Amino acid sequence: MNVRRGPGYWAASYAAMLRFDLAAQRNWLPMFALMQILFGAGMAIIYGFYIGHLPADAALFIVSGAPALAVLTAGLIGVVMMVTERQQAGTWDFIWSLPAPRSAAVASTFTVFTLLGVPGIVATLALAAWRYGLTLTVTPMVVPALLLSSLMATSVGFAMAQLIARPVLTNAIVNALIFVVLVFSPVQFPISRLPLWLADVHRVLPIYYLGQVLRASVTRGLVSNLALSYAMLAAWTAAAWVATAWVVRRR
Amino acid sequence: MATTWPRAYWRMVAWDLADFRLHLPVLSAVLILQGAGFALGIGLLFSDMPEAAAVFVVTGVPVMNLITAGLIFEPQLVAEQRTRGSYEFLQSLPVPRSAAALAWYTVALATAAPAVALTLVTGVARYHLHLTVTPMVVPAMLLTCLAGVLLGLAIAHGVTMPMAAMLASTTLIFVMFGFSPVAFPAAQLPGWLAAVNEWLPFGSMATIVRAGLVTGVASDVPRAYLVVAAWAAGAALVVAWAQGRRG
Repeated sequence: MNVRRGPGYWAASYAAMLRFDLAAQRNWLPMFALMQILFGAGMAIIYGFYIGHLPADAALFIVSGAPALAVLTAGLIGVVMMVTERQQAGTWDFIWSLPAPRSAAVASTFTVFTLLGVPGIVATLALAAWRYGLTLTVTPMVVPALLLSSLMATSVGFAMAQLIARPVLTNAIVNALIFVVLVFSPVQFPISRLPLWLADVHRVLPIYYLGQVLRASVTRGLVSNLALSYAMLAAWTAAAWVATAWVVRRR
Repeated sequence: MATTWPRAYWRMVAWDLADFRLHLPVLSAVLILQGAGFALGIGLLFSDMPEAAAVFVVTGVPVMNLITAGLIFEPQLVAEQRTRGSYEFLQSLPVPRSAAALAWYTVALATAAPAVALTLVTGVARYHLHLTVTPMVVPAMLLTCLAGVLLGLAIAHGVTMPMAAMLASTTLIFVMFGFSPVAFPAAQLPGWLAAVNEWLPFGSMATIVRAGLVTGVASDVPRAYLVVAAWAAGAALVVAWAQGRRG
């Protein structure tokens, strides 16, 4: 018996899994985008209510932080919910049993969710900018920034849910995380306002860097040391891939 | 033999405590995290938080603690009971429904109390505030929690589709936390939204609780009491109708 392998077979499997994932997620798509807009643009608007009168520079900080909230919502809530739902339904066992390389199946899921995240991010940015009457300075860097951010959030969310592998526990962790992320992340305010120990924690976690990369792509002069932020996002993405490969091979 | 009302009430308190023995400690911890965490976290949005903003946050967040159990947790729980099929059984228990409702109110109040206290202590310590607590805080908090519980029961029993009830309660969290003048002044909302909020319960709940915690900040307190009481009474009517409908 011949075992099918090689780049051609991988590409064909990837294309087939892409069709599978797109078909499986079509009902999710509106919910996914709505959730992102709610948490991204919604939070940006709500923070404005709390602060009251916003000077233009503070408003710019909030608006340029909004896409990071949308990305984190997609990665932490959306992807994790999808993975745990499939865990409960036994869909992963089915997917792993398909005659396609597991790396092609995972790559297809990452592609679909990375791209699904983009419309929600763009809508969030547009809504938040409109609310505060700001004009953003969009640079070509917005394309790699959006894609890398969304890929990082998708990869980390996916790896986390697969590593924990217990839907109830995963949901509890995600609910706790989303609160911490929305309130205590240096995305909507400068990192210097955090207590030192918490700032140090955020210099290791990807959330701060995600905010920096996205902020730099739509503003000028607010972000320094951008290369470090890109490197940290890439490192977190790579770490998530290693973790995913380990979990997926083990099965 | 018919059970007397007080006996039925105590039995239902015991029932709720036993039924939610796993949920209540978690819920209480979540409320503490919500309250104290939020009171601290909002401060980070300001480079230098004005005292007025701090007063609003510290006196507003306890309101969220008081109504979360009744308004958010109860509808989700009943939705779960409907999905599992235990709803009809619980409704068929031989106790007056008013006793069951009051028992749940007692449990909700006890769950929220530690969070309210800790939120206030944390907020006062963090922002160096001086609160002037008056006895009026007691009826204000009791009425706020009661209105939250009754509104939650109205959603739980009035909306029969579990998904719709879950959606309604999730939407309400967002409205309470983001679009109601609970932890910030109504003047910071767009005019139309502030006007709508004059007739919604959350802003008025915050007004009456705040009036019992600080002097000179809350205005139009009697009207706020009327609005909250009207919502509580309206919700009680819906609950009575929804439960009566089932015989």
